[in-house]
Amino acid sequence: MGDLKKKKVIGNLDDPKLPYDYGTRPYGTVPKDTTRPGFQWLSEVAYKNKHRIVARGYDTTELMEAGYGLVDMQFIDFQSRIPLIEEEKMLNYVMILSLEDGLSLPAILSRTVARSKTFLTQACGASILAFGHAYGAYSAFGNMLNDALKEMEQEGYPVEEVALELAQAYLGEPALGVSNLMLKDPAAKRMFARAEKLGVSGKHIALTKEIVKAAQQISDSPVDLDMLGAIGATMMDLGFSPEATWAIIAITRSFGAGAHYIEEVEREEMTGLGQELTPKEFYDGPEDRPVPSLDDRDKNAKTAQTFDLDAWKQAFEERKKLHGSGFAIVEEVEDPSVKT
Amino acid sequence: MKRDPLFKRKTAIAYKTEEKTVLRGYDLSELAEEGYSFFDAMFILYQGRIPSPPEEKMLKYEMGEFMEHSMSPSAASAISVIAGRPNLPVAVAASIMTFGGVHGPGAAHGYMMNKYLEQGQKEGKTAEEMGKTLVDDYMDAGEKVMGMGQPQHTDGDPRAEPTHLKQEELEIDGVYLKLQRSVEKHFHERRAKDGRRYVGVNVVGAGNTALMDIGFSPNAGWCIGSVSRGYSCAAHALYNMKKGRAWAASKNEPMVQMLDLSMIKYIGPDDREVPSQEERQEYAQAQKEEGEYKKWVI
Repeated sequence: MGDLKKKKVIGNLDDPKLPYDYGTRPYGTVPKDTTRPGFQWLSEVAYKNKHRIVARGYDTTELMEAGYGLVDMQFIDFQSRIPLIEEEKMLNYVMILSLEDGLSLPAILSRTVARSKTFLTQACGASILAFGHAYGAYSAFGNMLNDALKEMEQEGYPVEEVALELAQAYLGEPALGVSNLMLKDPAAKRMFARAEKLGVSGKHIALTKEIVKAAQQISDSPVDLDMLGAIGATMMDLGFSPEATWAIIAITRSFGAGAHYIEEVEREEMTGLGQELTPKEFYDGPEDRPVPSLDDRDKNAKTAQTFDLDAWKQAFEERKKLHGSGFAIVEEVEDPSVKT
Repeated sequence: MKRDPLFKRKTAIAYKTEEKTVLRGYDLSELAEEGYSFFDAMFILYQGRIPSPPEEKMLKYEMGEFMEHSMSPSAASAISVIAGRPNLPVAVAASIMTFGGVHGPGAAHGYMMNKYLEQGQKEGKTAEEMGKTLVDDYMDAGEKVMGMGQPQHTDGDPRAEPTHLKQEELEIDGVYLKLQRSVEKHFHERRAKDGRRYVGVNVVGAGNTALMDIGFSPNAGWCIGSVSRGYSCAAHALYNMKKGRAWAASKNEPMVQMLDLSMIKYIGPDDREVPSQEERQEYAQAQKEEGEYKKWVI
């Protein structure tokens, strides 16, 4: 380890508080762990052998031969059950409405990737990344409904009161499921009507309808059920979790994104590195300035360290003014295992 | 709320107004209300037409069958990515992006078929005749015949022959199935003649053939296959996210985890000392001249 043994180095190496001697750390890989069973592909979802592929206990070829299809498979993989015919019909309806949305974010991402001469699968995958907590915020929407329903069940709050609370808290947010996006398009409301006609609507649709009513009461401008609310609530009444809904809808849109990839390749040009210009009029950063010589570096350099909290706060606020520095963003990056 | 498009493009796929979303001329909501299936909508998306009932059935069969494949590179990607606990769509995106030149190469198989059909048309040969030409071309060149062989289903992919049979049952066995059947026949004959083991048709060879016979392009077929698989990969990722252990390396799990330290087997250069900066130039020069490093370059 050369001079690590002889002198103090970066960080706290050689610090007596370390639980091992840094300078004499052993080389070599770790022996096989024989105290526990070896690693295996652990799954509740599916397995296969040479002659079968089995999802939740059902042989997938036998499923298809019996007339089931991709829509039924969503229930099998995500819920471990065969859906009622009405449920299959409803999910089929939802998936049609989810397939395409014109030049929206998934299509833009797909087309952007396509311009770099990639495989189609890269573009389809990229399109799925459009689904976050604003665009296609199905997990945020679904978890909001689940929390509210839990509160209603546990605390006995009336649905009108809970709906009003949600509307007051989230009106104007992209994950409420109520907005001004579908004031002239009947597709969202028709979806709820279809769910009711098929007999598959339940507490999620009921609560969402109350949220719509509450939002309409408190909003200064017209609002109504939007596609996020319609699809999200319907999917949850079909038994899908918020996360499963998020994935299923994003993947369904990815088929549409594939067509956008193809059209971009067919009709547009590729983009080379350095090809695109950013006009000066788009720029509102620091004025153009001469690069100081390295000899003058110390005169121009500014350090970041602060040594008391007032100075830290002042520096922090100053840094927020530089767009692109990241200081103006505060977000929670949590483990989504419990809640996405 | 701004509703202008971020991206300005002429598109023949769809448009969206405040009143409706229209796919290839059809209002999506009207399609769903009328009782068309998601599979019908896929034909409209990629082919701009409403399919015949047997074509719709074939696509339903193919997409359902391709969706779940348990332990495969795409599911492995999803599971590996979700171990870091990003947002779920990241794992799903990774799974779909796993499809390339070897895992589910639907487009490549489609381009291969089109190439030989075109050659046959020019030369006045049948699809059956072109199957032999294709097999001979590939095998003479020592290349793998696309659509044949699956590393896990070594006795033949259990999804493949039923897909061929379904196509025949539905009476939509067109020129692509004729070519594919011929490829399989000549492939098996040639391997048997060479004393090599049986290698069956895989799900790309069967499924992509069906997709091409019902009018999908190679890339559309690839999209249908790889994105359908995305659903099951999402289920695998979600299962691991909700019921598995993040990081996949915990010593507290009853089974050795995927990323346990003991899973590493190292076969690279021997352990060696880091040269000091004073020694660096001489050391690096000697290393470059000796050239032993070249065997490790990747």
